[in-house]
Parts: sequence; C-alpha cells; structure tokens
Amino acid sequence: MTVRGGVVVVVQVGIAVGCAPLLIGLLRTVRARLEGRAGPPVVQPWRDLRKLWAKERIVPEHTSWIFAFAPVVLVSSALVVAAIMPLVSTASPFDHVGDLFAIVSLFLVGTVFLALAGLDPGTAFGGMGASREMTVAALAEPTLLLAVFAIAGRAQSSNLGAIVTATLHAPRSVVSAQSLLALVALVIAALAECARLPVDNPSTHLELTMIHEAMVLEYAGPDLGLVELAAGMRLLLFGTLIVNLFMPWGIATRTALPAIAIGAIALVAKLAVLGVALAVFEVFTAKIRLFRVPELLAVSFVVAFLAVTAAAFLG
Amino acid sequence: MALGVSAGAALVGSAAGFVLPRRSRVVVASLTTTLVGVAAAVAALAVLGTGDPVVVRWRDVIPLAGVTIDLDPFGAWFVLVAGVVVVAVSVYAIGYCDRALAGRSVQGMFPLFAVTLVLVPAAGSVSTFLLLWELMAMTSLVLVAAEHRDREAVRSAAVWYGVMTQAGFVLVLFALCLAAASAGSESFAAIRAGAHGFSATRASIVFVLAIVGFGTKAGVVPFHVWLPRAHPEAPSHVSALMSSAMVSLGVYGVVLVGVDLLGGGPRWWGLVVLVLGGVSALFGILHALVARDLKVLLAYSTTENVGLIFVGVGTAMLLTAVHESALAGVALAAALLFVLNHAVFKGLLFLAAGSILRATGTRDLDRLGGLVRRLPVTAALFMVGGVAIMALPPFNGFVSEWALFQVLVRAGSHASPVLGLAMPVAVAVVALTAGLSAAVFVKAIGTGALALPRSSAAEHAVESPAPMLVGMGFLGAGCLALGLFPAMLSSGLTRAVGAAGDRAHALRPGVVELHLAGIHSVVSPVGIAVGLLVGAVVVVGAARAFGAARVRRRAENWGCGRVLQTARMEYTATSFAEPLQRVFDDVLHPVHDVDVTHAAESRWYVDTIRVQTRVVDGVDQRVYQPVVGCVRAWGERARWVQNGSVHRYLGYGFVALLVVLVIAR
Amino acid sequence: MTTDTYRQLLGLAAGVMIVAAVLALWRRSLSAIVRILAAQGLALAAIAVLVGAYHHEVSDIAVGGMFVVLKVVVIPAVLLRVVRDTNNQRQSEPLVNVSTTIVGAAILTVVAFAATRGLVGLHPSPEADALPAGFAVVLIAFFGLVVRRNALVQVVGFLMLENGIAAVAVLAGAGISLTVEMAVALDLLLAVLVLQILSARMQTKFGGLELDHLSELTD
Repeated sequence: MTVRGGVVVVVQVGIAVGCAPLLIGLLRTVRARLEGRAGPPVVQPWRDLRKLWAKERIVPEHTSWIFAFAPVVLVSSALVVAAIMPLVSTASPFDHVGDLFAIVSLFLVGTVFLALAGLDPGTAFGGMGASREMTVAALAEPTLLLAVFAIAGRAQSSNLGAIVTATLHAPRSVVSAQSLLALVALVIAALAECARLPVDNPSTHLELTMIHEAMVLEYAGPDLGLVELAAGMRLLLFGTLIVNLFMPWGIATRTALPAIAIGAIALVAKLAVLGVALAVFEVFTAKIRLFRVPELLAVSFVVAFLAVTAAAFLG
Repeated sequence: MALGVSAGAALVGSAAGFVLPRRSRVVVASLTTTLVGVAAAVAALAVLGTGDPVVVRWRDVIPLAGVTIDLDPFGAWFVLVAGVVVVAVSVYAIGYCDRALAGRSVQGMFPLFAVTLVLVPAAGSVSTFLLLWELMAMTSLVLVAAEHRDREAVRSAAVWYGVMTQAGFVLVLFALCLAAASAGSESFAAIRAGAHGFSATRASIVFVLAIVGFGTKAGVVPFHVWLPRAHPEAPSHVSALMSSAMVSLGVYGVVLVGVDLLGGGPRWWGLVVLVLGGVSALFGILHALVARDLKVLLAYSTTENVGLIFVGVGTAMLLTAVHESALAGVALAAALLFVLNHAVFKGLLFLAAGSILRATGTRDLDRLGGLVRRLPVTAALFMVGGVAIMALPPFNGFVSEWALFQVLVRAGSHASPVLGLAMPVAVAVVALTAGLSAAVFVKAIGTGALALPRSSAAEHAVESPAPMLVGMGFLGAGCLALGLFPAMLSSGLTRAVGAAGDRAHALRPGVVELHLAGIHSVVSPVGIAVGLLVGAVVVVGAARAFGAARVRRRAENWGCGRVLQTARMEYTATSFAEPLQRVFDDVLHPVHDVDVTHAAESRWYVDTIRVQTRVVDGVDQRVYQPVVGCVRAWGERARWVQNGSVHRYLGYGFVALLVVLVIAR
Repeated sequence: MTTDTYRQLLGLAAGVMIVAAVLALWRRSLSAIVRILAAQGLALAAIAVLVGAYHHEVSDIAVGGMFVVLKVVVIPAVLLRVVRDTNNQRQSEPLVNVSTTIVGAAILTVVAFAATRGLVGLHPSPEADALPAGFAVVLIAFFGLVVRRNALVQVVGFLMLENGIAAVAVLAGAGISLTVEMAVALDLLLAVLVLQILSARMQTKFGGLELDHLSELTD
C-alpha cells in the first residue's frame, strides 16, 4: 500500500464522514426553501452532532451490550464501505476487494444490529420499528442483489472498480434497457434502505409513520450522534453507488494527486446535484402506507428481474 | 487407520454406554464419541491433504459381500464435516445428558450413531453403504425417541421420522441395487466404470429414485415433513447432529449418485435439482418466519439451507450438461463449502437452543427473553450462530453465500438459453431467501435473547455447565475461523471436487483472499473483519477524544413519555413476523379461528372470545394428511382379513406358498 | 442510424412497454392507470417509428403516427372522461393480493421469454430479440384482465393486450398495412365508446363500476 493509496483511502473516508451531515443539511435546506420556509443552514447537522456529543450518556436500564455496541457497528461498517468503494478513484489499494455483494452485506450488518438494538430496550416502539425495518430490508435486499447481478453483467464481475472502469470505457452501455431498469430498481431499493420518502419519513415521530426513527427512539447523547452520522453516511454511500455506477465521469483512475482532487470535487458536485434532486422529489411525494410498501418493493424487484432478463436476452 | 480407531472407539463407547453405571456412563460414552470425531477428522484431513484415497476391503466381516471402505477426497470432505460436529456435540453431551437422556439405550446408541455419520461417506460398495445407512437410521430413531416417556409428542414424531426414513431407505436401496445390477458388480468403482454403459432410461430411473430417497434424508420439499416434527422432540444434541451432519449425508447421496457414480446426465437432472432447491429454500424460510417454537424455526431453516445447497448442486449439474466443466467445478465447490459452513453454524444454533431449553424449560419464543443477561455465554454464542446464518461478515455464512452468488451470476451470462432463464430465477430465489433469513433470525435473537423476560421461567434461567459451553464455543470458534480464512481449505476443497468428477482448480489457494477459478471477483473476509475492528476502534477513540462522556448512566426507558415498562409491552415473535406474514398471505394461508362463547342468559352478552391464528405446513396438510388418511381407510377396510381364526391364517400361508411355488417354477 | 443504436432504442421501448404493464397492475388510482396506458401507447408508437426509420418503410412510420393519435391522445381522453364522470377515483382490491400479482407478472415474463425462444432463434435480428417483450405484455395484460374487478380497469387491460399484439405484429415484420391497423383501431374506439355509455348506466344503477355488481342482475 503506497502513500498515495493511503491518501486515496483517507480522502474517501474523510468525504464520507465530513460530507454526510452536509448532505442531510442540504436536503433539509432545499426542502425548506421549496416549501416556502427559510430553513436551517446547511451546516446545521454538524452543529447538532456537536451538541449531542457534549451531552450526558444515558442508556435504558434493561438493555444489554447490543444497545451500546450497535451505533459503533453502524458507523464502522459505513467506514469500511467508504474505504473499499471507489468514491474518488478506482485505483485505491482496497479496490480489488470492493465487491458489490460484500458492500450490500456490510449495509445489512448495520441494519441487523440496529434492529436488534431497537428490540433491546423492550419498548413497543422499538419492537415496532425493528419489525417494520426488517420487513422493508427483507424485501429490498433481493432487489439490491438482482440489480447487482444486472450491473455485474457489464464487466463480467461484481467488483465495483471493474464495473466503473468498464462504464468509463463504454459510456453508451448506460443507456441500454438493462442498465436503466437496474437504475430504477436500485433507486427504489436505495430509498427504502436509507429510510427516505416514500418508504419512511425521516422527520416524523408519529407512531403510524415511523420505521427508522422508532428503532432509535431510546438513543440519546453521543450514541444518538453516532446513529445520525451513520444514517447520513448510508445515504451518501448509496448515492455515491448510484452516481458512480451510472455516471462515473470525473472519477480518477490513478492515484496521482491532481486526479484525486478532481475525483473528489466531481463526487461532491454530483452528490450535491443528487441531493437537490432528492429534495425536490421528497417535496412532491407523500409517504405511502406501510402495508403498501411491500407492493412498491415488489415492483422494484420485478423491474430488477426484468433488467436481468433483458441482460440475458437483449444484451 | 484413523478410521479404524474411530470405529473401535465407537464400539468401546457403545459398550460402555450400555454397561456402566449411571454416573460414569455419560462421561465415558461422550468422551469416546469425541475420540470418534477426532479420529475421523484426522483421517479426512489426511486424505484431503494428500489426495490419495484410502481403500480397505474386508471380505469376511459380513457374509456374501464383505465391507469395502473407499475414502476419496470427496467422501473425506463429508467425513470432515461429520467429524467436526461430532466432536463439539459429544463434549456438549457431557453436560447436557441427565435423567432420561442418561439412560442405557441413549448412551449406548449415541457413539454408534456418531460413527455411522462419519463412516457413511467412506463406504466403497453398495452393501457397505446400505448397511451403514440403515444403522444410522436405526440408531437415530432410538435417539429421537429418547424422551418418549416424558412427552406424548415424542412418540408421534418418532413414528413419522421412522416411516419416512425407511421409505427413503427403500428408494435408495432400489436405486443402488439397480445401478449395481446394471454394472455387474457392487463396488462403487465398478459402478463408476460401468456407468457409460447404462441406457439413458435406466440412469434416469436410478437418479430419480436416488433424488427422492436422499432428498427425504436431506429434507427438501416435499419430503421435509419429518424435520419440523422430529427436531423439536429429539434431544438437542441429537437434533444438532441430525440437522448438521445427517442432512449433509442426504446431499452427499445426491451428488454421489448424480455426479460421481453416474457421471452427470441430461439437462433436466440439473433442472430438477435446481427446482427442488429453489422451492425448498423459499418454503423453508417462509415457515421459519411464522414459527413460534425455536427448534421448529431452526428445522425449517435447515430446509432452507439445504435448498440453497441443492441450488448450487443443480447449477453444477446443469453446467456439466452444457460442457462447462470448469465452472461446474466451482459451483460444486461452492455447494460443498456451504455444506461445511451450514453444519457448523446450524450445529451451534441447535446446541444453543438446547442450552436455552435446559435453562428455561421452554422452546416457545413468546415466553423467552432477557436471556442475554441470565445466560450471557449461551446468548452470545446463539448470536454468533445467528449472524453466521444471516450471511453477514465476518462469519462463515457470508463466504459461502458470496461464492454461491458469484457462481450463479457467472453462469447466468452463459450462452445457453436454459442457463440464461434458470440463473436469473435462481438468483432471485437466493436473494429473497437471504433477505427473509435476516428477518427470521433477527426475530429469533431479538425476541429470544434480548429485552425483558416474558415468563418466570426465563427470569430464573441459569447458565449451562461448562462442557456445554465448551462444545458450543468450539463451533463458534469454527464459525469465525471458517469465516476469516476460508481459503485455507481451498486445496482440500479442490481435491474433493476433483474426486467427484473430472475437474481441477476450483479454488485458488490463498490466505487473505478468496478467489474462484474463472470468476473475476475477489473477497477478503479477513480484510473486512480487520476493517470493522479498526473502524470500531477509530469510532470509540474519536468519541473519547472529542469529549464524549465516558460513564453511562442507566435510566428508565423513555418510550415516548410512558411511565411503566413491563414484559407485556414488548413485541413477541408472532407480532414481529406479522407484517411479513401479511405480505406472503397467499402462500402461507394462515388459519384464523374465532370462538365466541355467549353468556348463558342471553345471546347478546359474550362470555369469552378465543382467537387463534396459526400457519399450517401446506405440504403436510395437503399431501401427507390425505395419504395418511387413505392408508388408514384402507387399513380399516382390510381388517376383515383378520378375524382371529388360526385356521384362516394358516390357510393364507398355505395358499401363499402354493402361489410362490407355481410362479417360481 | 447504426444497428447498435437501433437495437438499444428498440430494447428500451420494449422495456418501457413491459414496465408499463407491470405498473398498471400496481397502481390503484384509475387516472394513473389510464396515463400509464397512454405511456405504453407512446412506447408502441416509438417501436413502429423506429422499425420504419431503420428499414426505410413509410407505412410503418404512418402506423406509428396513427398509434400516437389513437392510443396516446384519443382513447386515454375518452377513458379519463369516464373516470371523471363516474366520480370513482380508486378501485377495490383485486382478486389476488397485489404483491402476488406483481410477482406473477415476473413469472409470466419468464414464461414469455421461454416460450418464444424458438421464434427468436429462427431469424435472429434486433426485432426478433425484442419480440418476447410483446408476448410478455400480452400475458401480463391478460393476467391483469383475469384478476381485476373494475370494469374500467378491465378495458384498460384489454387495450394493453391489443398493444402487445400490435407490438408483436410490428416487430414480426408481417408488413402490417395501414388499412388493417385502421380497422382494428376503429373497433377499439367503438369498444371504448360503448364502455363510456355502459359505465354511465352502471353508475346510475349501481353507483359504481365494480363488476361484482353485475352478478346482481341475475336476481
């Protein structure tokens, strides 16, 4: 592992950690402006994190080590994904182990531990959140894996670096039926996994509408800060996955410092555009009823399946 | 040589089990069984390491046929699987067996059961195989029925298990004898050599009989109905052995006949195996989702995992039929790796369930809870097994699921249209079961081990004795080791796959990463584990460094401002699974019963209302119950034959003798 | 245009047709379903125009134009008026659970691809590769017809069925002539107008378009 390789990893992890709250802040600000409010400044989530960090650490009395351990697992799995995924460069030292299936599994580790942490305090809200979250995850997971299958056909490998490189060499393959169908399916699955509208409302605390928020209801202080950071990182990493798999222009293919800098700027710019687009989408979408969510996920599953069949027959 | 030690130890142990007084019986029998397992594992590793098969032939041990032992690397893989699990289970049994389970028959049969598990894959001729198979069935039946005096359900379970095992045995008998008759000799080597001479119909008949017979042992749908009946009622260490080692032997049988002895066949063989696997996987995981009894959940989960293994085997057979031998070898390697990993984590899960059962006296998830504080080691090991079976890094389930997925994706880009259609469906099924198994095991761990205890039994549970913890810990360490360093087994696995057919280099040896031949994806489980560890350290260190408070204060749950927290407010296993059950309503067909009892005075007043929801196994209800009903009806009608007159019975015998003489003329 | 671009665009349009059929199984809002039908009609027209442009056949392009007029503008407008007049924005539950219907659509796609394998292999060309998509639309639309309970949704299913058949006809290159297409299209228009009258009667008599009400007529 060379020094420049180490620089790539540090830059990637730094962007993932540093820009995640900023992405959330951008979403909130754009939504507020579109809804006619002034809205918080973009750096507000960082201020919230700082506030939470300084608070007292309170843990519910009946919980076990799972409750304390889960935020750490969430953040560290997100950090590992940020290190092995090609965010700014496909030439990072961990590139050859950046496997899509491994990344999907790492996200699932976070989800599972969060669900267990929701069940640990023994409250009804936590159980409700965990039950709903596992329903959504169980149905979004097949879509993710099928979309991986469809996308892996481009480079005959599920290694992310190889897929991005293949897309850079053949940019027109992105507009094929297989690719676009996979994109639609991936977007819906990503919205479900990141707990955004129309599957879950991240700013609600009503019993009828909570999924993610219900699981983290008992968290307070620095633990809550870690959970919020992890949620932001998850959104950023899924966004990067979509952006780099389908629009990889600007990503560095070597470890030269100027290339890394360009890659970083390109990534931040693309994420900003994606964030604005997501915010606009959220303003015009309502959350769908919980028992209609499986139908939406079934549609995304079928679209991913069509992508795979299209790959086999039309590609 | 080592196998001989194994067999000898088993005989000694069995004798000890029958003869010794109660106090020493359990310890001696279990320790000798441990020796059985260790010797078997050593023998298997030797064969896998060198690739030289071990062939022994004793002509005089059994009249007419003799005993042939032919341990090639393919069989050695399964011997290793069985050996590892036997070691852990026998250590566990030292602490687990008491009262009814320390009886003479149980302790005497246990070493024999263990030795048949390790010797079946080493059998080299049809008669040896069938002898060992039947011995395995008999000993396991005695063990399943161990607690029949304590509970009525054990008797019914034992009957179902016995009947289905025997039915499977008859089919296997037909299959192997047909093959032996067609090849002219009963040794496996001769059958292998003579298999090209079989006509296509004959080979297909042998294959179909073998699939049904071995499929019954493996627990694929629709032959799985004994699994959720027998596993909960059998003693936990026996369930662990059955669910990990015995179902692997079902897989061994299918691969032995389909791939090794018959040398592969037309495409529909692979498709049949693939379809059986896919259906079992989905069916198993859906029924595990709605199961309340922890052991029934684990039993259905075994059906699901065996389904996934069959998907791998079916893909390998399909690939052989389209002449892609290299990729077929990788597919078979993925399936075999899954067999090993499944045996380890499923064994661990059943042993942990046994520990929970012993501590609390109940298997009902809706009555457990809070065990992470009362039984810390058991709960932690149960979580290790659960994380492994959910295919999460850094444990072993992740590695085998990754390998299976990679093979299916790679096979899907093949030119053949059969593969082009079958592989997307297979990937869809594998992906769906992966997602659902995560939900199932979060339910099992979350409601079983976490939160507050839901009954006084769970509240007063006491941690299990040391031997049980050591046995479970051994398998837990195995989960971790196999998860972190899967590539250490690659040369052995390559030899095993090569011995099953004509392929080589399924896996490339390596320490840190796992490469599959012909596939351009790489995974590094050690890297991921190290990354997670480093990440965790960084997070905790950063939290401390940036001023986060060190000390945690414990306070009441907030719960949105509610004042009281009791165990009745928690989610139960049934409520956890309800949203998903609702999604799969059309497949599961839950039965809702509402009984309203009115007050005696007037129908306008209600005395009690009883609501019951349950999910019945569809195959059981729609296929087996009618068959059992039919058999019973025929039996009732045939009673007229038995009227108690001795003369009539003698008359029957006389007429039968005459008929035989006339026909056999 | 190059063969590669042609193949890609054709695949895209075929994919849009199948996705539209699946979405029509999912959505409950009647006006959304009519709009999805219009989108499918547009994709069908695109297929016809592409085939015509690539093979330089004016008749195909003319057929595509007629599809746009009829299937994207006229028929959806009539259907939307029916929706507005019956004042019935949503439909009741279908006979089978919606998620199961959607998974059933996926299975039908596989069946369609498997069943037309022989046809595709007979004469390989970009059109032949997109042919199974037309069959898949036919099967999915038929399935939707069978499980839906609302009269309007059934007519939409019938129209999607016709879209699928038209796609197969255009792609199979049987030289579908303008007059044949006109005749079929006029028949469709007639059917839709009949629906408009029928739905008005059903609305006055039963207060809704649910087909279960029709069984009350036997009493």
